[in-house]
Amino acid sequence: MNEGIVITGIGVVSSIGIGRDQFCRGLRKGADGISKINNFDTSPFRAKKGGRVTGFNAREFISVSKIRKLDRASQLAIAASRLALEDGELTINHSNSSEIGIILGSGFCGLANSEAFHRGQVLRGFLEMNPMLFPNTVPNAATGNVSIELGIKGVNSTVVQSYCTAETAVIMACDLLVEGRAEAILTGGVDELSEILFRAYTALNLLSHDRGDGEMSRPYDLKRNGIVLGEGAAIIVLEREGHALSRGIRPYGRILGYSIVGGSHDDSPWGDMERAIKLAMEGIHGGRKIDYISGAGNSSKRVDEMEARAIKGAFPSDYQAIPISSVKSMIGESIASGGMRMAANAIILQEGFIPPTIHYQTPDPRCDLNYVVNRSVEREVNTILHNGISPDGTYASILLGR
Amino acid sequence: MVITGLGAFTAIGKNVLQFHRSLEEGRAGIDEVTLFEVSKYPSKIAAQIRDYDPSDYFDRNELRRLSRTDQFAIIASREALRNAGIEVNGGAHPEIGVFLGAGAGGMFSAEQYHRDLLLKGRERPRPSLLVPFLPSYSTDAVARRFRLCGPKGTITTACSSSATSIGYSADLIKRGYADVMICGGSDAMSELTFGGFNALRVVDTAPCKPFDARRMGMTLGEGAGILVLEELNRARARGASIHAEFLGYCTIGEAYHMTAPEPSGTEQSRTMREAMREAHIGPDEVDYISAHGTGTPINDRVETLAIKDALGERAYSVPVSSIKSMVGHCLGSAGAIEATAAVLSITRDFIPPTVNYRERDEACDLDYVPGQSRRQRVETVLSNSFAFGGNCTTIVMRKYE
Repeated sequence: MNEGIVITGIGVVSSIGIGRDQFCRGLRKGADGISKINNFDTSPFRAKKGGRVTGFNAREFISVSKIRKLDRASQLAIAASRLALEDGELTINHSNSSEIGIILGSGFCGLANSEAFHRGQVLRGFLEMNPMLFPNTVPNAATGNVSIELGIKGVNSTVVQSYCTAETAVIMACDLLVEGRAEAILTGGVDELSEILFRAYTALNLLSHDRGDGEMSRPYDLKRNGIVLGEGAAIIVLEREGHALSRGIRPYGRILGYSIVGGSHDDSPWGDMERAIKLAMEGIHGGRKIDYISGAGNSSKRVDEMEARAIKGAFPSDYQAIPISSVKSMIGESIASGGMRMAANAIILQEGFIPPTIHYQTPDPRCDLNYVVNRSVEREVNTILHNGISPDGTYASILLGR
Repeated sequence: MVITGLGAFTAIGKNVLQFHRSLEEGRAGIDEVTLFEVSKYPSKIAAQIRDYDPSDYFDRNELRRLSRTDQFAIIASREALRNAGIEVNGGAHPEIGVFLGAGAGGMFSAEQYHRDLLLKGRERPRPSLLVPFLPSYSTDAVARRFRLCGPKGTITTACSSSATSIGYSADLIKRGYADVMICGGSDAMSELTFGGFNALRVVDTAPCKPFDARRMGMTLGEGAGILVLEELNRARARGASIHAEFLGYCTIGEAYHMTAPEPSGTEQSRTMREAMREAHIGPDEVDYISAHGTGTPINDRVETLAIKDALGERAYSVPVSSIKSMVGHCLGSAGAIEATAAVLSITRDFIPPTVNYRERDEACDLDYVPGQSRRQRVETVLSNSFAFGGNCTTIVMRKYE
């Protein structure tokens, strides 16, 4: 990293809180954002729970006439973006709009909207199709709508890379800032939880369900039996350090290094995660120790175990000393959940505490790291290693510092 | 930064050689859609890839988990790697990354699942149809197939995705994260997209006629275009043949409207100017503009305004053409297929035509290379891609000598 990149604002619309302060409180107390789904009928499914954002009132962020034209993902993203700009005290106007960019990650973006559009196409035929729904079927609907709503005219992109989607967005934003393509970039992730997504995850047998020990997101616990779907939008403002200093804002922290690599598709995928960690750490000078690992653990057998092996490989002598936890225990998993975790990282650096992995009861001998469980720990955190794991073969690491 | 490999899989050619021949001969690949039932739609045509039997390219086991989009991506990537002289047999390649642009991704498979679900009620549709739904699955499929384990990602900005993937891939190499990048994109037709563009009434019922006064809209297409990027010194050291230099790019948001371009063309012009600035070229050095040229009345008018704004007087003496008149609008892969054509125009010194162009529109008063390709020395090309969400990308390439 030859140009300092800092985090100057965060905006979160999550199942454990809307806005920086609520989200921070939720992390600190180990809030559980997962509850029984009541906005669609879950009786056909074994799983019943999700990390749905409740208490979100789009009218607080978007004019009424526009709301009905926007899919839920776009609404969540606009709200989070407004909160992030406010938090980062960044105003977009005519003179700076082309220097401010936006790079968001999203899995399926406004999938409920796409589903409604396709349902009309299949059941009612062409003449009854609602053309109003089509524009927001594109995966960049949220990014497009945020840029239109907030007047962001700089670099603009949307990315997806399985469960490393938000990490890809953050990394691309860093690269574009270092290359001087923007002064500040809104980045992060947005996903919505819809019935069709729930159905698809059920069909692919990926969701946790109650087998006598409850249905929950419990990363690293021996009894974990799949993910719990979450949703929300988390936007962070990344900025060139010089630009941030010139407008007198105190950053949450800085990006010290990062990497994203593909899997070798051999018998030891944890080796690829280990490679990503080592590449990300090349950027820092020796001696700086990792105070906290933001875990990718998502309550699936495979990812949690793979992460443990990778961390042991990357830190063979001191892995027992580094605290690690997974925020996904509170908010669940989604394709771009890394955005939420990046926002959490910013708060952790600023506030000095380690959020817990909640619902943790039974240790798994294959997941034998220094997990912070059930209660947060107050402690100064100067350096965070953030990992992203996609079982399809993408591994990301982002190193953050105070 | 140089381009050392090309791969193309399109309705006008299933490899770069055929694709190039069709571009030179001005042959379109537009015909009635057979991939799904189209009788109910106003438009019944597209540049669908025909005479394609996946089992010619893949074994049955492999096919079960690959969408049509993934298949095109792998076929074109294989050609591009071979064309670049890069051996990928066996070992893992951490020095090679994959960053593709995507559009509908596995929608064609996922919509079959959804249709079965809606129409057949209780019978359970095949879950495997959902596996390749996420657009990044194509990138994963290419990386897995050739064991490319450098940096990886997927751009999903609709019609500009694959152009942006080329630009950002160049940044990744420049920043030292990879020696070689496989970039570009793939996209297959889906009924959702076909119905959607029909519902928006932006599709021509006859083959599209970009920039023509009679133009009524676009013609959809599908296919893949893949480019191999690497640094000049590395390419030279390994004795690779160099197709062209990649000079720079710009990608911005118009912040105007989800589907309509900013009508004065100011934002599109800014994209082209910024790309030229990064490439250190002036308007007088531009020899050819590969237009976004979708064939909708407003898009072609605004793009023309933007070209005139960005190039000034020079605009009137630069050939501008839209190969969408032959290959259709391939959405997620459009920018990459057009970039591939642009590289061919540089290496073969010709301008691909805008076929079907006959009647001049007063609002579109540039040289659109009607009907037939033109033999002409081509050094520097701009290629434009504009997308839903107000996303604009321009890339710049130049002859390497």
